[in-house]
This record gives sequence, C-alpha cells and structure tokens, in this order.
Amino acid sequence: MPRKIILAGEGGQGIQTVAKIIALAAIKSGKNVTFLPSFGVEQRGGVSIVFLQISDKPILYPRFAKANILVAFSSRAISPLKKFLEENSLFIYDNSVVENKFLEKIKGQIKNYLAIPAQKIGRERFTTKVVNMVMLGGMAANLKEINFQEFENALLEELAEKIKEKPEIKDLNLGAFKAGLEEVEKFDQETQPLEGVAPASFKCFFEKENLSWERFPEYCKGCGLCLLKCPVKCLSFEKENVGFLGMPLPTVEIEKCLGCKQCMEICPEGAIRVEKQ
Amino acid sequence: MSEPAFPSTWNKESKPHKFCPGCGQSLALKILGVAIQELKIQNEVLFATDIGCSLLSWDMFNLESVQTHHGRTIPLVRGFKLARPETIVIGFIGDGGGYAIGAQHLLNSATGNDKITVILINNANYAMTGGQLAPTTLLGQKTTTTPLGRKIVQGHPFKGPEMLKEVSFESAYLARGIASNYQELLKMFKKALQNQIDGRGFSFVEVLAMCPVNWHLDAQESLDFSEKEMTKIYPLGELKCPEKLS
Repeated sequence: MPRKIILAGEGGQGIQTVAKIIALAAIKSGKNVTFLPSFGVEQRGGVSIVFLQISDKPILYPRFAKANILVAFSSRAISPLKKFLEENSLFIYDNSVVENKFLEKIKGQIKNYLAIPAQKIGRERFTTKVVNMVMLGGMAANLKEINFQEFENALLEELAEKIKEKPEIKDLNLGAFKAGLEEVEKFDQETQPLEGVAPASFKCFFEKENLSWERFPEYCKGCGLCLLKCPVKCLSFEKENVGFLGMPLPTVEIEKCLGCKQCMEICPEGAIRVEKQ
Repeated sequence: MSEPAFPSTWNKESKPHKFCPGCGQSLALKILGVAIQELKIQNEVLFATDIGCSLLSWDMFNLESVQTHHGRTIPLVRGFKLARPETIVIGFIGDGGGYAIGAQHLLNSATGNDKITVILINNANYAMTGGQLAPTTLLGQKTTTTPLGRKIVQGHPFKGPEMLKEVSFESAYLARGIASNYQELLKMFKKALQNQIDGRGFSFVEVLAMCPVNWHLDAQESLDFSEKEMTKIYPLGELKCPEKLS
C-alpha cells in the first residue's frame, strides 16, 4: 500500500524543504518515492503544496486524488487540502497557528488527527525559522516504514550548505526535529479535541475626538507604502504583532494624525480606514 | 468596527488579493474600482484582462469579467462593444500585452476610434515571469534578460500614448498617470470611462506602476524609481482630451 502524503502551507514556511527531506530519507531506506512540488500562480503570499508518495513498488503517477496523511502548516492550507481527505486519513496540523474558523470547515470529515504546536515550540524554544522541522518530527513519528536515523541524515544532507555558513543552525534544526517527535508522544487524541487558536485579538482601532484610524491585519501585506506617504510621519511598524503574511503591521500615533487619508488612499489592499467628521 | 476600505465594486471573497506586497497594479485596480463606483456603472461594465500579472485580477471585482489570450484583450472588447454597444467595456492589459504581442490591436483600435476604454499597466518589465526585458524597460535598467542594463541595440523605451496621439481622432482620450497619485489617476480613469459612456471615442490610460519584487527594490526605492526615474522618460499628464470632457 503506497503512502500518499500531501503538505500545504504558506510559501516560505519551508514545506518544500520538509518534503524533500522526507523524500531523501525514504530513498535512503530503499523505497520508491515521488516528490511533486506545486506552486500557485502567485510569486509570493500563496499557498504552496507538495505531493509525496512512498512505496515499495514502482509508482506510476505522482499525483493522487486522496491522501493518507495530510499536513496543514497554516489556516489557508485547509481549503486546498479539503478535497484530499479520506475516511481514514491522518490529519496533522499546527494547533498554534491554524484558526478555529478554518478547522470548522473540515471538522466533520476528520477521524484521526495529530496536533503539534509547532509555531509555539519554535518561538519559545528555538527560532520561528525551524517551525517546519518541528512539523517534520511529527510526520516522522508516523512514517514508521522509514528508518528513523535516515531522517537525521537526510536533514543534515539537505541543509549541508547552510550549516557550512552558519554552524549553529545544525543544533537548532535537529533540536526542533526532536521536539516534534516528543510532542507526538505527549499527544493523545482521546483527551485533546480538534482545536486551533482563536483569531489574534489586538488593538486595531485608534481614535481621537473627530478622527478614527483603523487597520485590518487580515488584509495587510506589510508593504510599507502608508508609512512613506504619511506627511507627518505618524505611522510606524509595530514590533509585537504581524499581519497574515507574517509581515510587520503599521500602527499610528493618533495624536499626531491629521486625517488626510493619504495612507488609506495609497494602501493597495484597502487595509486602512480613516474616518474624519 | 467597520468594514475595510474596499471600493464597493471589489469582490470581498477574493481578498486579500493575489498581488505582491507594494504592487502598483493592485493600487491602479483599487482606483479603477472607485472610478466605476463613483460613475455608478457597475451593472453595465465588462472587465477583460490579459495574460501576465493583470490576469490575477480576474476575480478582483464584482463585475462581468473575462480573460483571454495574450495580447488579444483589445479585439475581444472591441467585438463585445460591436455586438452589445450599451456595455461599457474595459480592457485591462500590461505593457507586454499592449506594446509587444498586442501592439497591432492597440494601434488599429486607436486608428479606428473604437468606443472602448483600455487601461495599460507599465511596470517596465514582464513581472509575472520573473522580470524580463519589456518594451517599456528604461535604458540602463537591469532585468533578468539584460543583466548589464538595457542598451540602445535592444531598442528605446516604448512610448504608447505618444504614438497613439499621432493616429487617434480628436475625440480620443489619451493620458498617462501614476499609481501612487490617487486623486489624479482617479480623475483620468473617470474621464476615460466617461468618454466611452458618451460614445465619443477611444480612451486609453497608461499607468506607471511600481514592481518592488522584480525591481529588487524596497518600498521607498521603488516609489522613487517610479515617481522620479520613470516619469523622466514617461511624462505624466493628458496627451489628448476632448473639449467636452475637460
């Protein structure tokens, strides 16, 4: 029975790297593998998807209609994954990133699942750049047919060039991988419900007597044009919160704001609204 | 809590849209949305897009939208206008579709004074395919196919509105705007649409747009490049405006 795996997440999260490591590890364990990355028409900010198949027998075609293992790295990855769900598919997701309202859409179809708080582990214990390795740990624990040691070897081989430049990332990546494995051992489907996070709640509405300035993080791509167009430079990038692409969000010093609406006019996303009475 | 500042013509389902952060094209589309909203012609418009980055706008609006072969947007809207003269047709094309593969259609449409509106985005490269040399690339500008900068042997930057000025009728409306100037571009779009609504003649607006991703510049630099460098070669303003419009 060939293993059919589909991974999806935001472009830049390292999904392709993870899939490549799994493919390499499977080859090293003597399996037949197909690895098919699929990008959208977008250059950036799109959902990136990978199709992986691992089998003892030769594989005839790299695409498939239903998957055994589905992995969601982000909220937006849910809708492209939906049609690949099967009755007994295993659904792996990052429960520190995927939002509840997206999970609602597929809740009824999922029987087996595995939640890994990869973003949280990455942020607290390593860096956010190795979040994909935490997820890899989660996947590795479920791919019993591949020799465990081969995952580590494949990881080091894939990152060899980067490790040469920055030796410290070797331990970071391996540590994150093991953290993912530990997380699988801790996880118990009986006690842990299929839940994600509530949408981020932070201040988006600023006002003074005759003026209000509102931002919409679910649309802001962080291009920074609003900052440049502000005539009194009352806008700046905020350090704590980020928009939906993980880019910085503009914030306003409302006392200085004139209400000229230049930021609202220049925003290509329509993610700023200024109202003046 | 209020709604985001979308024009009422935008399709809320498809937002955030597919354009890169800081893209001038999406800014032009927002202003076009406002122009259609303010003229209250949402139910009469056919919006046609070309191949290239402009096709990312196929689900941008709550308008009748169609997408066609590369460079053939103008014949499509021309045919549509002939069959259904009451429709307001908008051809939304890039500099590749308008000045390279579709140049003959643009020229003939202007020569024949078709009652259509064409909006052309000039971002000085072929953006969707990764930033190759386009007819509008500036001399000395580096692209992936001219790594040492464009030279004269590869041709001079193509000035569309200036060319059309020579062949078009007096009732045509020709203008060049820039995406980062909201008020001016909105006026141009409204005039270009009004010229068609009045059944006067061919309307064409070229929009200078920044492309931070393929220019490999940050927000400030790409804004400067489009506002300072590009406007030296491509001066802004109306090249032809019927008296009744102005």
